[in-house]
Amino acid sequence: MNRRKLLSLLGMSPVLLTGTSVQAQHTEKKAPVSKNSSQGKLTAVNPKGTPPSIQLIPMAPRLDGLDAKTVYLVDTGFHGSDTLLHQVEAWFARNMPQVTIVFRRKAGPYSEDDPKLWKEIKEKGNAVIMAVGH
Amino acid sequence: MGLPTAPMVTIAFKDLALTNAAKRGMPHQRICFTPHPVWGKTDAQMYAYLEGNDPVSGKPLMKEVIDALTKPLTAEESLSGTSTPPVGAPTFIDTSDNLQQYYLDNGMTDFMPIILPTQEKVDAMLKGTSHHPDEVVGKMTPAQGAFPPWSYTVKQCAVNAVMAGATPDYFPTILANASTGISALFSSTNSLVSAAIINGPVRDKLTMNYGIGAMGPFSQPNATIGRAWTLMSKNLDGGGIAGETYMGSQGNIINYNNLIVPENEKDSPWTPFHVQKGFKPEESVVSFFFGFCVTQGQGGKGLGMKPVPHFHEAMSANCAPFASLFGALFLCDPLVANGLGDLGFKTKEQIGDWLQKNTTVTVKDVKTMLFSGLPRGPEAANLTDDMVIPKWPKPDAFNFVVVGGQTNPYHQLGNLSYRLSVSIDKWA
Repeated sequence: MNRRKLLSLLGMSPVLLTGTSVQAQHTEKKAPVSKNSSQGKLTAVNPKGTPPSIQLIPMAPRLDGLDAKTVYLVDTGFHGSDTLLHQVEAWFARNMPQVTIVFRRKAGPYSEDDPKLWKEIKEKGNAVIMAVGH
Repeated sequence: MGLPTAPMVTIAFKDLALTNAAKRGMPHQRICFTPHPVWGKTDAQMYAYLEGNDPVSGKPLMKEVIDALTKPLTAEESLSGTSTPPVGAPTFIDTSDNLQQYYLDNGMTDFMPIILPTQEKVDAMLKGTSHHPDEVVGKMTPAQGAFPPWSYTVKQCAVNAVMAGATPDYFPTILANASTGISALFSSTNSLVSAAIINGPVRDKLTMNYGIGAMGPFSQPNATIGRAWTLMSKNLDGGGIAGETYMGSQGNIINYNNLIVPENEKDSPWTPFHVQKGFKPEESVVSFFFGFCVTQGQGGKGLGMKPVPHFHEAMSANCAPFASLFGALFLCDPLVANGLGDLGFKTKEQIGDWLQKNTTVTVKDVKTMLFSGLPRGPEAANLTDDMVIPKWPKPDAFNFVVVGGQTNPYHQLGNLSYRLSVSIDKWA
């Protein structure tokens, strides 16, 4: 396809091929000139919305140690989380075999709750390692 | 759960994780950080992460994990009670230049100059609606489920509308946007796009541009209604802070003022979009879309070499690479819509049905594509890799809006899904 036809298809004028400059027919508007150029002080309003108050949540008591304890590894579903947590599992097997490890994939997308899993962990587990934010 | 927990987060998400934990009431949560990324790493590379240091603390990562579960709590970690995050004084007093700098430095702008929201300008904006300045308009969050939503009033919306350069007659449309609680800066690692389709008399009342250059920078209402949406998405919900409440890896240029599309109803052969959604033609309505991207629809199979361009084949070819997680929104110049009519597609539903049946993919390809899923249900058991299936299971994945000035028969298309439609008149 020649350039003239291509320009035409693009909705452009073939005059662009002539190499001559085309005088723009602009009528420029003049910017308004302020009569008062002094910089007085202004009062401007805060654009922020209203955040909810935050209820501080005391953290759960920690364990004395992990010996003979059950630690749940919870995969949030982000890409690579499962690979990372399976290696955490391998790390425990190699370095702390006295810890029981249970791997679980949280149900649904990352932002969805999984009360069934939380119930299971509360009944059978002692601690949780959760991963991962990408 | 009441059990000690050690969250593991990659270093790229440090600010987000710490801020989010604080906003959820655990400002001292023991977060353990891994190098980034974990996606695409081998078992050996992951194990090396674990044998290395936490990039934040500089201490051995797995020791940090064990300590997070076993080290006794400090007094701060055991605190209860409530706190309210500060958002600054109700007003700021300074020179014009200093105020511009203050708003910019405090993340309240889109990093371009704003109209300073003086009380006089905000009061004038409030005259654009019959609603009380203190009325709560809605709640918004940068990402549902990840951040607790903030609430906001008519007045707080008016401040942002002034900053965007809007005039009071645009304000009902801006309030309708705000009432949905949809953030234009949804926080995802995907750099997402938001779109608002505007129908009804408001388009002509505001002299919105739905003709030549409708989606470009050629119209004050188109530009500033969209910009107000972005500013509201930053200020009304604490969103749009890169690395904290916005995580789009590359960002998206459309986020500056979003895709604002007044439909060219008078030159369209089809039913206006809001009427498709159950509104009357005389109602003014804004409809929302959301998804991955917008791209030009020039080219494509069947468009170029036939006496009558086969627009439907081009549209199918152009949306074929899209992810089926979101739908396909076609923004058709009236020449395209009328051309499709000449080809027998007399309604939007007819072209949607054709595209659904004819935009296909092999099962094998679906398995290798991100954000695309195979059909579920009983038929899933019979799928084989070489089978050809529709890319989207239902025709409602395809939506059509007519916009443009008929200088060339083009369409643009977005990998976008419809969310909802709301009345603008309600906010007048």
